Amino acid sequence: MKVLAIARNNLVRLFRDRSAIFFVFIFPLALILLIGLQFGGTFAPRLGVLAPSPGTVGAEIIENLESADGVEVVALSDETGLKEGVERGSLSAALSLPADFDERVAAGEVSEVGFIARPGGVGAALQPVVAEVVQRSVLAANAASFVAAQDLATFEEALVTARTIESQLPASEVQVTTVGEALFPASLGRFDIGASSQLVLFMFITALSGAAVLIQTRELGLSRRMLATPTSVRTIITGEAGGRFLVVAVQGLYIMAGALLIFGVDWGDPLSALAIVVVFSAVGAGAAMLLGTLFRNAEQAGGVGVIVGLGMAALGGAMLPIQLFSPTLQRIAHLTPHAWALDAFAKIRAEGGIGDIGLELGALAAYALVLLLAASWRLRRAITRP
Amino acid sequence: MTAVMVAKGLAKSFGDLVAVDGVGFSINQGETYGLLGPNGAGKTTTISMIAGLLEADEGEVRVGGDLINPRAVTPKRRMGLVPQELAIYPDLTARENLEFFGRLYGMGGSELADRADRVLDVVGLHERQKDLTKEFSGGMKRRLNIGIGLLHNPELLILDEPTVGVDPQSRNAILEAVEELSRAGIAVLYTTHYMEEAERLCDRVGIIDQGKIIAEGTRRELVEMVGEKDRVSISGTGPLAEVVRQLSSTVGVAEAGESESGVTLLVEDSSSHLAAILSTAAQAGMAVSAVEIEQPDLEAVFLHLTGKALRDV
Ligand SMILES: Nc1ncnc2c1ncn2[C@@H]1O[C@H](COP(=O)(O)OP(=O)(O)OP(=O)(O)O)[C@@H](O)[C@H]1O
Ligand SMILES: [Mg+2]
Repeated sequence: MKVLAIARNNLVRLFRDRSAIFFVFIFPLALILLIGLQFGGTFAPRLGVLAPSPGTVGAEIIENLESADGVEVVALSDETGLKEGVERGSLSAALSLPADFDERVAAGEVSEVGFIARPGGVGAALQPVVAEVVQRSVLAANAASFVAAQDLATFEEALVTARTIESQLPASEVQVTTVGEALFPASLGRFDIGASSQLVLFMFITALSGAAVLIQTRELGLSRRMLATPTSVRTIITGEAGGRFLVVAVQGLYIMAGALLIFGVDWGDPLSALAIVVVFSAVGAGAAMLLGTLFRNAEQAGGVGVIVGLGMAALGGAMLPIQLFSPTLQRIAHLTPHAWALDAFAKIRAEGGIGDIGLELGALAAYALVLLLAASWRLRRAITRP
Repeated sequence: MTAVMVAKGLAKSFGDLVAVDGVGFSINQGETYGLLGPNGAGKTTTISMIAGLLEADEGEVRVGGDLINPRAVTPKRRMGLVPQELAIYPDLTARENLEFFGRLYGMGGSELADRADRVLDVVGLHERQKDLTKEFSGGMKRRLNIGIGLLHNPELLILDEPTVGVDPQSRNAILEAVEELSRAGIAVLYTTHYMEEAERLCDRVGIIDQGKIIAEGTRRELVEMVGEKDRVSISGTGPLAEVVRQLSSTVGVAEAGESESGVTLLVEDSSSHLAAILSTAAQAGMAVSAVEIEQPDLEAVFLHLTGKALRDV
């Protein structure tokens, strides 16, 4: 009961603070809106396509690439533009279909398509997506050319049929086995990726700003006053940690609900999303408590909190997608709880359930536990030995 | 008489600095005990150990027989603490502050609501109960600070310099509230460096300096302990040298001397000797225009014991 009283007290005080309300509730959604509008469309990697005479199959490939959400297709006219575009980064990757592509496919021959991208970057990660689209179209074309070869129908007729059949086939049967996942699942809405990044970024910054509240509570002699009541140190610490947790979790759930209702963000399985928010809030609460014991001055802790919060968000892939990082940097990124939370969100966006994010939830829970234990130990000292 | 609180041999150092050095005293039921000492004497440190906020290096505190330290929980129910520094939430209302700490004292429901009402009356904040305390004046904050300590009807109320930085009116209200509580049977531990407050409120006073209690007792006992005498100043004109000579041999007069406006005497128990003194002065030819008697106070006791004034800081 006393734990609840202390925790609740923190929440009441949050809602008294106008600037906190702005930063906790209004700012994050505004930013999701802004980033969604600004970059939601163009943030998608640009794929240059060079197809001098695309023909039926080539046109279909281009059409399918264009309709894939999250990839922007740019038509190119020559080989030089293609190479330079990728080199200079105005294109993430480029696909070139040889001039005789359509004929060779129609003839059932093997035709090589060109794909260039700089290694490691988002372009390389596009390869499986492009490969899949090409394979799908070629597969249908091959089937059609086979039918045409038997003189059962013309190639064009057969292709229409093959496409109809293909679209009825379960996707997995046509899927090409390529290593790695698609960077941007085709179903992704313009706000979806941004939303989970903003969510973890803001939850963590809000959490860390709680360190200042904790220091203030000590500075104002309120922790000692609590200790003068028949309340154990453990209850006081649990209550304060609970308060930090509640503040962050309330913000997390609010951003989730707001993004869902206002922008139609698809978070994936609700139970899993809830689990991520809860565990990530616990991590935030632990980090806030620890930060709150490392500093004596509230302003100092507040400033450091924002810097650490932004830094960890950047490193953890909450500012730029982690897929853009080099493999080494990706491993380093996973030192932050952000990366784990974002991984978990990506998995449930890709239709994963709670069973698929066990590793991520476990990693986050471990963070929370270590941080909370360290913070409790230090806070106990801070309260009883002023 | 049963002791509500017994402290024995309390000691606390901060690094090399010995803040409290073997302090022991007890407070009886219904008694108001004053801890009087200058800045830095160790009053707050002593109180922090008694309230179970600070681990003592040595010694022990018992309240109602139970040991008190930072790990003690239930026995703290018997005590109410009014810390020297304000400890109230600025972004909660007066009532919310009371209710929050009330819950930590295990109160709730209508009991808590009733007590909060009662305390708001006592500290005169009923009208302002719904205002955030950051909008309060200094005196109002102080009064709420005290109210929180009273909320749960403690057996022992500990007040650490509750009147520092308070206007005379609020100060008087605070002193009256303490007197009222004392009449109601609550034991009070009151620290101050204002001699007048200790004299007005306290049944017994411990004089603390440099971490040690250097004298303890009722005001009378303390004054007698150091053998301080009353200072009698007689203003007037006449053959002052002769007056001084004659007064020096008068019964009760320990010392006599000329002053700017007449003569000044140090007298043992001035009230019983004043008549004889004045008639001696008149007989010696002095035209007396005014008589002023200063009885020794705790300030004088402190000066006598330490060779420094209570507030020479
Ligand atoms: N947390 C602390 N760390 C270091 N020194 C301390 C601490 N608390 C008190 N002291 C020192 O211990 C001594 C006693 O301090 P204390 O606060 O008990 O005095 P006090 O009698 O309450 O004085 P005041 O009338 O000014 O409140 C002082 O010299 C003070 O500087
Ligand atoms: Mg003090």
